[in-house]
Amino acid sequence: MKQIWTVFVFTLKDAARKKAFKISTFILLLVIFAACLIVNLTSSGGESAEGAAGATTAGTGAETASGAAEEEAGQDITLEGVCYYIDEDAAIPGGMEALQAALPTYQVKQGDAAQLGAYRSEIAENGEVSLVLVQQTQGSPAVTVVTKDVLSGVNNSDVSDALNQQYIVNQLEAQGVTGDVAATLNFEIPVAVEIAGEMDLSGYVLGIVIVMLMFFAIYYYGYGVSMSIATEKTSRVMETLVVSAKPSRILIGKCLAMGALGLLQMAGVMLFAALCYHFLIPDNFTLMGMPLSLSSFTLTRAVIILAYFILGYALYAVMNAVCGASVSKIEDINSAMMPVVLIAMISFYLGYFTAISGSGTDSLLQQIAIYVPFCSPFIVPFKILNGDVATMDLILSLAALVVAIVLITALSIRIYTASVLHYGSRIKLKDMFKLRA
Amino acid sequence: MGLVVTNLVKRFGSKVAVDHLSLQMEEPGVFGLIGTNGAGKTTSIRMILGIMSADEGSSAWNGTPISRDTLSFGYMPEERGIYMKNKVLEQLVYFGMLRGMNRSDARKSALSYLERLGMSEYKDTLVEKLSKGNQQKIQLIATLVHNPELIFLDEPFSGLDPVNTEVLRGLLGELIEEKRYIVMSSHQMGTVEEYCKDILILHHGQTKLQGNLRKIKQGYGHTNLVVSCDVNIDETAAGLGLTVIEKRAGETEYRIQGDDMANALLSHMVSQGFYPTKFEIREPSLSEIFIEKVGEAS
Repeated sequence: MKQIWTVFVFTLKDAARKKAFKISTFILLLVIFAACLIVNLTSSGGESAEGAAGATTAGTGAETASGAAEEEAGQDITLEGVCYYIDEDAAIPGGMEALQAALPTYQVKQGDAAQLGAYRSEIAENGEVSLVLVQQTQGSPAVTVVTKDVLSGVNNSDVSDALNQQYIVNQLEAQGVTGDVAATLNFEIPVAVEIAGEMDLSGYVLGIVIVMLMFFAIYYYGYGVSMSIATEKTSRVMETLVVSAKPSRILIGKCLAMGALGLLQMAGVMLFAALCYHFLIPDNFTLMGMPLSLSSFTLTRAVIILAYFILGYALYAVMNAVCGASVSKIEDINSAMMPVVLIAMISFYLGYFTAISGSGTDSLLQQIAIYVPFCSPFIVPFKILNGDVATMDLILSLAALVVAIVLITALSIRIYTASVLHYGSRIKLKDMFKLRA
Repeated sequence: MGLVVTNLVKRFGSKVAVDHLSLQMEEPGVFGLIGTNGAGKTTSIRMILGIMSADEGSSAWNGTPISRDTLSFGYMPEERGIYMKNKVLEQLVYFGMLRGMNRSDARKSALSYLERLGMSEYKDTLVEKLSKGNQQKIQLIATLVHNPELIFLDEPFSGLDPVNTEVLRGLLGELIEEKRYIVMSSHQMGTVEEYCKDILILHHGQTKLQGNLRKIKQGYGHTNLVVSCDVNIDETAAGLGLTVIEKRAGETEYRIQGDDMANALLSHMVSQGFYPTKFEIREPSLSEIFIEKVGEAS
């Protein structure tokens, strides 16, 4: 134990002094600061942008309609833009009124077919302007909706629903059905969706950030373990070390030191991020209209996430240690690490995509990702933050991870002990198992 | 009881790297383990120290099987291995602590050895900034910092200039006086001859010769004659059956078969009025014995 501690302290101090560590820490802090600063600047700028948008809308003459709509609804409605309506053939009588009712945030204006080209040019420049063109084709109306792009202007479905309904009413009335009956036939039962809880995007965003950080940390610090061991081996320091301490103790001490360094760096980065959040992010900051909060980051969840970080790191660190011990030349380290990198990448993408795409579901792929030890550190933290992991799943996942660590560590120590004093060509994976110290 | 190694065997696949190696070192002093490159010296040392498991055989120190946990041994490997980007004292303390010392004792011991080897001024210097000879000394201190009873030195003098060689000789002398057990592996036969009471010659993993060096040499008898004379006596010597082993500046070494042959040459020279300034009858050198044994095996 004393030897493990000695290796731990020496490796920790040595790694913390390295330029690579200092530079990477500085860059991380800089990125966080820059991101928060950008949010700070754009948030205050966003308010004035909204003001500018209002002025633009007023310039188009929409203020009257806006005022009228607001008065009518008896509430504040922010005008999103203008929609020109052209129906020269009167294919859908009453269509414009129906459209205005369906699009309360737009001022629907009667357009002039002669100005079609001008409208198109204006729409091409301005996302707030749209055009609905109704034409009579082979006895029935056809509608064309013109917007700047798919993301701006009026919603196609809303336009289609409004004009379809009006057309049906017109047809029924033409067949002698009274307006009341036509309205009844055309009545849609209102369906309201009530959300009992608060919609909180924080868990989702934090989950993605944590999973990303987890992958970065496991990859970066695992690489550090591998490099440290490869450097000691190729510089022959290992020859001096192994007479002093058992290889297993060296391996454990090194892995623990690099893990502790990772935790310290992460803790420092997160503390800095919290300070930046506190001082730079405005209180009313929202992401896609949703306020961000840390309510999903409870103490229990934080502890479980920390456990996954430590265990996930430990699993990959011992495998990386073997990669480092298998090379005799430092330039072989990347190719030696390839199998572990592939496992990490596949596991990360499996965990990440099943997490973000299937949150809240129990798909087979997601279940596999939760239980497979290589993968679980990349999915469970996300799911914990979003509150959709069953306790039993969590216990089984953690147990599988611990068992995998014990087995792989035992195997890694055996391979490491045998390969750490092997010099010459890089040891192939299949030969590692045959080696005997 | 000292060091007892019994029938150590190591195989790598079908190749036998070390074949039934046995040796005993009952008294303090220096034991010479010599052999060509690839003879199995390093593998043997690793097995003796328990760093590498043996396929067969055992090694014991005072009756106890040797391992890192049971014996405080020191090993200076042939391939030097110290942290180049760390400071001298820092890593010496680290190596001392790895061998069970506390920080204070490790520091004290490291400073003491640095003082003995004239390296005190470099204690806070990065190792990469030291000369090769000084790095070698740091490696030696890393081996000795925890004051081991049993010491293995693999090529301790390689890469040292004459001044540093002399410093190291002094330290080796001190260790011998302190009654340490030292196993030295070296290609420098002169050094082995100077320090080792007992030797073992390894070749392709097999023990070719083993025993007390003085007795081994005595067993060969007087086989060499070194003559320094102002006149060339090669023809006379050849006439008496002597063969030239080596011609050096101012002297010639001949192969003889017994003292009579040397005495006959001396009589002949004196009768002709040729008086030698040097006339030395001696046993073969370790280097010659080594070449003979290894040559026989090859």
